[in-house]
Parts: sequence; C-alpha cells; structure tokens
Amino acid sequence: MGNSILLGAVAYDPKVVTIWEGIRAYFRDAGVDFDFALFSNYERQVEELLAGHVDIAWNTPLGHVRVQKRTGGRAQALGMRDSDRDFHAKVIVRRDAQIRSLGDLAGKTLAVGSRDSTQARILPLHFLRKEGLDLDRLKLLPFDTDLGKHGDTGSSELDVLRAVAEGRAQAGAVGDLIWVTEQAAGRVDAKVVEVLWTTPGFDHCMFDALPTLDDARARAFQDALFKMSWEVPSHRRLLELEGLRQWLPPRETGYESLRVALDEIGGW
Amino acid sequence: MTAAAIAIDGGDLPLGGGLLALVRPALLAMAPGGVVALRSSSPGVRQDLPSWCRAERHEYLGCEADPDGRDRHLIRRGPFGVPRAIPDADDADPHTGFAPRGSLVEPGGPAYPVTLTHRDLALAPETRQLYDQAVAAQWDARELAWDCVRPLPPALERALGQVMTFLAENELSALYVPSKFVARLHPAFAETAMFLATQLMDESRHIDVFLRRAGQTRGVSSVTTSRSLLALLQLEDFTEAAFLLSVLGEGTFLDLLRFVEVHAPDEVTADLARRTRADEARHVHFGIAHVRHVLSVDPAAGGRLESAVRRRAAALHGIDGVPAPIQDALIILAAGGDEPGRVARGHEAFQQLLVDMHEGRLKRLEHAGFSPAQAHVLSELHTPNFM
Repeated sequence: MGNSILLGAVAYDPKVVTIWEGIRAYFRDAGVDFDFALFSNYERQVEELLAGHVDIAWNTPLGHVRVQKRTGGRAQALGMRDSDRDFHAKVIVRRDAQIRSLGDLAGKTLAVGSRDSTQARILPLHFLRKEGLDLDRLKLLPFDTDLGKHGDTGSSELDVLRAVAEGRAQAGAVGDLIWVTEQAAGRVDAKVVEVLWTTPGFDHCMFDALPTLDDARARAFQDALFKMSWEVPSHRRLLELEGLRQWLPPRETGYESLRVALDEIGGW
Repeated sequence: MTAAAIAIDGGDLPLGGGLLALVRPALLAMAPGGVVALRSSSPGVRQDLPSWCRAERHEYLGCEADPDGRDRHLIRRGPFGVPRAIPDADDADPHTGFAPRGSLVEPGGPAYPVTLTHRDLALAPETRQLYDQAVAAQWDARELAWDCVRPLPPALERALGQVMTFLAENELSALYVPSKFVARLHPAFAETAMFLATQLMDESRHIDVFLRRAGQTRGVSSVTTSRSLLALLQLEDFTEAAFLLSVLGEGTFLDLLRFVEVHAPDEVTADLARRTRADEARHVHFGIAHVRHVLSVDPAAGGRLESAVRRRAAALHGIDGVPAPIQDALIILAAGGDEPGRVARGHEAFQQLLVDMHEGRLKRLEHAGFSPAQAHVLSELHTPNFM
C-alpha cells in the first residue's frame, strides 16, 4: 500500500461512519492517502492492529494500555483529543440517601456502567478501593450494556443516572463529561441527585500505531490531524461529532491508574 | 484575593440547578484569558465546576475562601467559541447566516447558499425608505366598491375580462420572479428582501382584484405572453431581473394601468387600476434605484443589461406586435363598446398608448442612468407583451 494509512475505529454508533468519512475527505484534501476500517469491538481492533492489518487504531484507554502492554511499551502513540486529558469519574448520590462521605456508601447500592467502561466502572471502583472502601460491603448494580465498546456509547452511564434518579440505586458512578453535560442540558434533577466525590484524573482515548509505522506516515497523519480547526465549519462538524475542540499530542502519564486497576482485577 | 474582571454571586445554586445561567453569560462577555469569580455556597459546585470547565475548555483556576467563608471559584475564559461582531463590510460573509446585523456571531458556523453577498448588487441606498413607504401604503381589496359592479354590454364585458386576465397573468410573473431572489440575498442586506416581500404582497393583492373584477369572464393567455414571461422567470441575475421586470416591464405597465383607469367602464375598475398603479410605481422606483446604483458603481453593467434585453428579444424573435387578444380587448375597452364608430376612437387611443409607453420607457431609462441613444435602443427592443 506504499504511503497509504489504514486506520481502525470501532463502530459504536452510526455517527462513526460520518466522522471517519469526513476525516478521510479532509485527510485526502490534505494530501494524505487515508482510509479507515470499522470494527464491531475494541478487542478485535486491538488484535488486528497487532497483526498489522491496520496501521493506526483509534483506541479507548483500555485498548491503548493493552496495545502498550502487548508491544512491551514500544507501540507509538500519535495523538488524542483535548477532552481525553484529565478525565475524571464522579460518584453521584441521591440527596435522600444520607450519604455524606465515601464511608456512608457501605451497605448502599452503587450503580455502575459496563465492565469494560473505564470511566463508569473500572477506575471509579479502583479509586474507591484506593480510598479504603471495602467494595464487598457495597451492593453493585451493574449495567453491562454494549460490551466490547468500552463505554463509548455512554448508554451504561445513562442507565446509571436513571437508576439513581429513580431510586433503584442510592449512588452511581459515571464519567465527568456525561455528568456535567446532562446537568447543563437540564436533564438532571438537582433536587434529587448531587455529586459526592470526584476521582483523581486519568487520560482517555489515543491513536495507537505499531513501532513499525514509518516516521513519514506517522508525521503525515499527525500534521494533518493537528491542523483541524474548531473555527473551520467543515472541521468543526467532525470535531463536534467526535467530542473535541482540538487534537493534542499524545502523553503517556494519564494511564498508570488504569494499569494498576487492571492488575488488581485481572482485567488484562 | 485573586483579581477577576467579573464577579458573580451564585448563591447556593447547584451546577445543574440554574447556576450555569449566571456563569455562561459572564464567561461569554469575557475575552479569552479573562477571569470570572463566582461566589458560591453550594458544596457540589466545588466538584462540578472544574468538570464543567474541562468540558467547555475554560480553565478552572481554583477555589479560595471569601472573607464571609463562602467559596470564591475562579475561572479563566477559554479560547473557543468567542463570538465576533459582524463587520459592516461591502462583502457579507455567508457564514454569518441569518444573524441580524449588529449581533455577535460564534465562528465556525456553516456557509449559507446566498449569492447576492455584495452590497452594491444587493442593497440600493433608497431601499429602506421604499420599504417604509410600501408598508404604509398597503391596502385591502375589500375597500373597493364591489357592490356597485353591474353587468356590462357583452362585448365590453368580454374585453374587460380579457384585460383583467392579462393583467393577472403578468402580475403572477411579478409575484414569482422577485421571489426567486429573496433567498439568494445575504441577510445582511435584508431590507431588499423585506422590500421584495411587500412587492410580493402587492402582486398577490393585484392578482386577487384583477381576477375578482374579471369574474367569470376570463380571456385568453397567448403563447407570446407565456414565452415573454418565461424569459423573465428564467433570469438568474438580480440586477437583470430588476431591470427587465421592474424598470421596463412594470414601468410599461404604469402606462397600461393609466389607460385602463381612463377608459374604465365603472368606478371599481378605475379604482383598482389607480391603486395597483400606485403600487407598481413603487416597484418601478425600486428597480430604477437598484439599476441606477449598480450603474453608478459599475458603468460596464450597462452593457450587460443591454445584452440581457437583446437576449430576451432574441428569444421572442419572430413575434410581431402586441398579442392580439389583449390588443383587441384594449381597443374595445377604450371604445366603450363594439360599435364601429367607437372602435375607430379606441384604435387611436391604443396607438397613442404605444407611443406613451415608449416615451415613458425612455424617461425611466434615462432616469436609471442610460444615455438617450441607449434608452432608445433598449425601449425598441422591449417585449411587445408590455411586461
């Protein structure tokens, strides 16, 4: 395929086609011979990247740390969204549940997202353990929807919000973005639900490539990517759909907590 | 305490309980880098505000204690979504969409499919004034004394029906042609679209009164008229349309409506001719103002308009003279009936009408900025269909 770049992405929503067809058109206008392949789940995508069937994978944090581990840390990270940096998870509670501190969660029902969701399950539980909470004393109400999508659809987080609002759980774990977005849109009843605790920060999605991706193609991809602008109408539409204002260079500092969490639960 | 350009008091409002209605406008008013201080006694805000700032790409600078013990959150406005004033430029930006002049526009919006984006081609200086006049001059078809209409002798009834049919047919073209351009005008020059809207309303009312006066007696639509009006409808250039429709077509109609008023068989007919003529005079004024302005900034436009008239004349090549049905009807109308002695007078009146129309066109063409020689050529090339 010479200089062409084949990117893998997971089709977690019909809009993924719109996003990548738009980005493909943008890349081609920028002189980058770019195409994409869609996978139905991140496990498959990671395997196909490692097998060399795609050049770059647009990965969740779970996909990213798995690629890093499987390549002995030699995989190349190429870029991330501004929104992928300093992600947090929130523990939200019903105001009528008398939960004033993390210790008060003992004996209560905590709604959590899919077991492969970094922000709504893996890391909130990890950070709660780190805070000294005995998770065995909590009743978990899990929403294992859209497994394989690593929480991308957000549906399990919305399930968590609904369960807490309706009283099926006294508390719940969700990502910070969905929590403030739902509040800003007026879809959270502030008289019923409030935030209790915010986890430490962590980083989210990443463009991963094998160490064998040559510099020229890696740089061509990054150069075009980082030139997308929020103020250019055609770019802005794609950036909105993908949930960012600007693409940023990669950083590896925000994934350590996830690695530790996966070690703890045998989640690799 | 850290300095802030704007301080707001959020009381005990939670983020999702109305607080953003205070925070967002404060940040929107700031330039990027500006700092807003928010006083709050809601403990949840300590956790939700940093997350909201992250989601909106503002920088959460931290929280300090106020002298009264309340939280004082500091937010630095982020770089995205800074609305800009629309510049009052001669070339309007299609990305400002329907944003009214004087409003602030968030960058990154889509381009609108408007083609009339240059001030000189979209907005003549008198347009606002003409719009105000048009609004003040609107009238209601029910104001006419319809009850006084009596049956006419058959020949005269047929002639009047033909004249009213012809007028309505031509006014339908004057309804459709300007409407094509309304959506092409950049909203920065909305006065022109607003004026055209009054014109559309005028033409609608004219169609209504002409057909009401025709009653059951409808005349013939000739192929000449149909071809001539299609040539107008097919125009894609706003200045050409203003010139051919309003200056030449509606201008010629002023003389036609005057003729109908003078020879009207009853007061209702005279009244509707008088009222519609007053409206048409405004449309002609608009057309002349537009063409005069375009010619004043671009003298080469004269040549383009002349070739537009020539193209239309070529499309109607081989058509000689006023369409027979309207010619005959106007003669009978002016004669007041079909007695041969009267018809001779009607015929003379019609010949005089053609002379008046030509002279009227010369006057309006010169008023629009053409030389007498150009005006003569253009008037001669004008459609025999009048409109």
